Amino acid sequence: MRFALTLGTLTAAAALWCAPAYAGDQIVVGFATAASGFMTAYDKPAQDAALIRIDEINKAGGLLGKQIKAVFADTKTDQAEGAKAGLAVLDQGADLVIVSCDYDFGAPAALQAQAAGKVSFFLCAESVKAGIQGVGPYSFSASVLAAVQGATMAEWAYNKKNARDFYRLLDSWTVYNKGICDGFDWMMPRLKDAKLVGEDTFKNDDPSIASQITRIKSLPKEPDAIMLCTMMPGAVSAIKQIRAAGIKSMILNGSGVDGSYWLNATPDLSNFFVPVQGSIYGDDPNPKVNEFNAKYKAVTGGDPSSQYVYPGYVLIDVWAKAVERAKSTDAAAVVAELEKMKDEPTLFGPRTFTSEIHHQNRGRYLIVDTENGKPKVVDEWTISEKIPVDYLTSK
Amino acid sequence: MTALLQIAFDALNLGSLYALGALGIALIFGVMRLVNFAHGDYMAFCVFALLWPSTDAAAIVFAGNLPFYVLVPLVLAVGALLSMLSEILVYRRFRNANPATMMIASFALGFVIRHFLLMLFSSRPKSVTLWPDLSLPVEIFGARIPMLQVITILVTIVVLVLLTLFLKRTRYGLEMRAAAENFTMARMLGVRANRVILLAFAISGMLAAAIGLILATNSGTADINMGANVMLIAFIATVIGGLGSLEGAVAAGFLIGAASVIFQATLPHDARVFRDAFVYGAVIVALLVRPQGLFAPKSAKQRV
Amino acid sequence: MPQRSSVLWRTISTPVMLILGLLVIAALTYWLGNRPFNRTVVEMLINIMVVTGLYVFVGNSGVLSFGHISFMCLGAYMTAWLTIPPFMKSVTLRGLPDFILHSQLPMWIATPLSGLLAAVFALIVGRIIMRLSGIAASIATFGLLGVVNNVYSNWDSVTGGQGSIVGTPPTMNVWIGWIGATVAIIIAYLYAISRSGLALRAARDESVAASASGIDIVRERLIAFVVSAFIIGLAGALYAHFLSIVNPGSFYLRTTFITLAMLVVGGMYSLTGAVVGVVVLSALIELLRDLEKGVTVGSTVIGIPNGVQEIAIGLIMVAILMFLPAGLTRNRELTWSGWPFGGASKGA
Repeated sequence: MRFALTLGTLTAAAALWCAPAYAGDQIVVGFATAASGFMTAYDKPAQDAALIRIDEINKAGGLLGKQIKAVFADTKTDQAEGAKAGLAVLDQGADLVIVSCDYDFGAPAALQAQAAGKVSFFLCAESVKAGIQGVGPYSFSASVLAAVQGATMAEWAYNKKNARDFYRLLDSWTVYNKGICDGFDWMMPRLKDAKLVGEDTFKNDDPSIASQITRIKSLPKEPDAIMLCTMMPGAVSAIKQIRAAGIKSMILNGSGVDGSYWLNATPDLSNFFVPVQGSIYGDDPNPKVNEFNAKYKAVTGGDPSSQYVYPGYVLIDVWAKAVERAKSTDAAAVVAELEKMKDEPTLFGPRTFTSEIHHQNRGRYLIVDTENGKPKVVDEWTISEKIPVDYLTSK
Repeated sequence: MTALLQIAFDALNLGSLYALGALGIALIFGVMRLVNFAHGDYMAFCVFALLWPSTDAAAIVFAGNLPFYVLVPLVLAVGALLSMLSEILVYRRFRNANPATMMIASFALGFVIRHFLLMLFSSRPKSVTLWPDLSLPVEIFGARIPMLQVITILVTIVVLVLLTLFLKRTRYGLEMRAAAENFTMARMLGVRANRVILLAFAISGMLAAAIGLILATNSGTADINMGANVMLIAFIATVIGGLGSLEGAVAAGFLIGAASVIFQATLPHDARVFRDAFVYGAVIVALLVRPQGLFAPKSAKQRV
Repeated sequence: MPQRSSVLWRTISTPVMLILGLLVIAALTYWLGNRPFNRTVVEMLINIMVVTGLYVFVGNSGVLSFGHISFMCLGAYMTAWLTIPPFMKSVTLRGLPDFILHSQLPMWIATPLSGLLAAVFALIVGRIIMRLSGIAASIATFGLLGVVNNVYSNWDSVTGGQGSIVGTPPTMNVWIGWIGATVAIIIAYLYAISRSGLALRAARDESVAASASGIDIVRERLIAFVVSAFIIGLAGALYAHFLSIVNPGSFYLRTTFITLAMLVVGGMYSLTGAVVGVVVLSALIELLRDLEKGVTVGSTVIGIPNGVQEIAIGLIMVAILMFLPAGLTRNRELTWSGWPFGGASKGA
């Protein structure tokens, strides 16, 4: 017991030594993101992209004439640590708190920022709760809602691929997955004579989804398209098993499966469609995106692994613009400027924020088609109407 | 009819995985009353042994390109070695410890392996292409079954037959069964404890490697948590089967696999997300009906 | 009963010293620690509640339970239902009954209610599960965890599904944490010296002799199960206030194993073990995390690579168990004179 007490006191003292120093004539951006554990693989790339944008701004003379300084705290992919990381960067004077990609892991830090009256941005969370509806009025996400991805794929496949019979396969593991299918569900009744011929669920870590596949195969006719609402790592397994069973329907996905790093797992994958905000394959219609990819490679030593790199860049971009317009880093003023943004152009599609929703309930997506294991951009699609906020929050 | 056959194959396939896993856990439990929670992490480790350590998104396949007659023994050897190493370095010192202490120690060991892999490879799934031809479907009585399912089932049958022969026909097998039945008594009768235990660990490690290979071929990916689910179900299967009974473990593994597939196939759509609740509920019911397990060995009876 | 009072007299020093020790930690933290460190200590105090709750069942009955974190889940969600402001609940948790949906209770009422819900639930399922013993009971509790997690993850209209529900007031601080830990320790202590606690420990050590002397093991086990569920339900409620978000993933395998490991590392058959296990492991984890961030010694910064902390803590746990298989306290209790009052032995 005495030993334990001594240890406790020692740690208390150690924590004090690391007490923060306030920054003077700098603007501080705090990253409360995962530098270890599961989320690192998803936070790090987007964070690198954010740092690239910060570097660009600093080189161009800074923000309001001040240099932006980045400070970091590790969430260790743990919710309780996440809240501490949020506090740690706030104590270092952060004016903007950037939190983990995933809503569940990012929310604790974002809540601390909200309580301290500072703006927070999720690196790439795609739940409507990553904003006013969950964390509060000072919270934003730079990505596009999962539901928009599902809706985009359904409408695009209906219009451009003439898909009529849809099958819905949901991995009930995360809210992100459900979000994709919610968007799909919202879009379906809007597509005249499109039909849901069947639906099923599985779980990301199921060692085999053979029985789900049997259900698809027992349909009288193979569906035109399978809406697959899932994410890594289970997505690869599901896709591989669907194709291994000889099902040739087109597979529609959320952005979570973007990236070529796993394609070896299903050689010669074809008829496979993913919505992305920007292309990592070097064929983005906007040459600036390809320039960014090159820059990213120069800085980090590797190509972007998936489109989830891009929201990190976008969030610094839109926040900095809002700060310039507000001429202050004061949270209320910055939020007011952000909420004035309507179709604000960014490298990776336009962004709109309103006092009702701090997320994109409509967005331009590039459609990446994978044929014979080679992904490439084939089209661009923006859903015909916004997904209503009421529908999103009721899910 | 075809649909039924398809469901039967699905159940056999999933059951095979669970049965192989349960066997690996039951073997170790038999000889040293240890529930090895690191077993699932052995599976992942064996698959990652095919890759070169790197936290980049794209996997650098290292040993995965070898022909199968080299690759399979290699991966099995990795599993056996890892498992034996953990016995020599860790579990050997827990021979007389409380089962709870051993269980937590094995959990801590698994935690170490998992985070070691996480540091070397990051959490992104890595693609591993093993024998893409196995993904092609074959036709059996009108049902189209992926080749891999057939192979999984065949491998399980072969493993079971070999293991039965080994346990029933060889001296080591006899010693192992004796040790599983009553370890103290077996020792007194001249069974060399350390050797038998080491051998059990080696076989268990190979079983983990085999499951790892099947999972990797099926999913095409290596993921640090890939063994966790099979490990949990296998653990439950060992208990339902009757701790210490190898036949029981295998039978229960198949039963849980079948239950899971049948629930998936028959539950109405809205209830299907609750499949796992039904499976765990069935587990509790099974335990209430047969607390000593479906195939309780004589040694499981309480001695006074 | 003179015998009873003598047990009380001989053993009262244990909870008193534990509670005072924690008070010192809480006070030092309050006066000296920065905000993140305060949170570390609050988390530690909540973990002490959970592990003490686990001890009530596992320590006294000798049955390892994998299911107790489901009571934490129940408590946390109950608190979320009761304390989230109605305008937030009515959007995300529309499936709740009206009287909950349109009301908001203060923390000091909601917390005991959360503990109570967990206890009632434990009473219902415990009547079924407690008939089992040994490893079968352990697996049944595991099944319980699986069922609760699966239901809470997918009952979207009431629990919000997998996603976090936000809005429990962030009212935790070290003092409330300390009060929580104190309540847990007192309940655990009172149970341990109660008739039921003594009977259960007797049954744990000599089950045949105990049932021969008329102890109804199933009944005593059920009592321990309910008491421990109450404590862990309280802990879950405080956890919801601590994090101010609740999601089912926080109450599953990871937490189950970490808390069990803390109990076993401390010494699973003693109350002191439960508290010491949490304090020591929490302190070690915090030290390693500080090392990962880098500690300035003189003019150089010493640090370890990110991710080493988890590996190191795993190795340390293995090492502790290897050299002290009965845990850091060797299952003994802390007393004034330093004499063990039992626990590991058949005394107590």
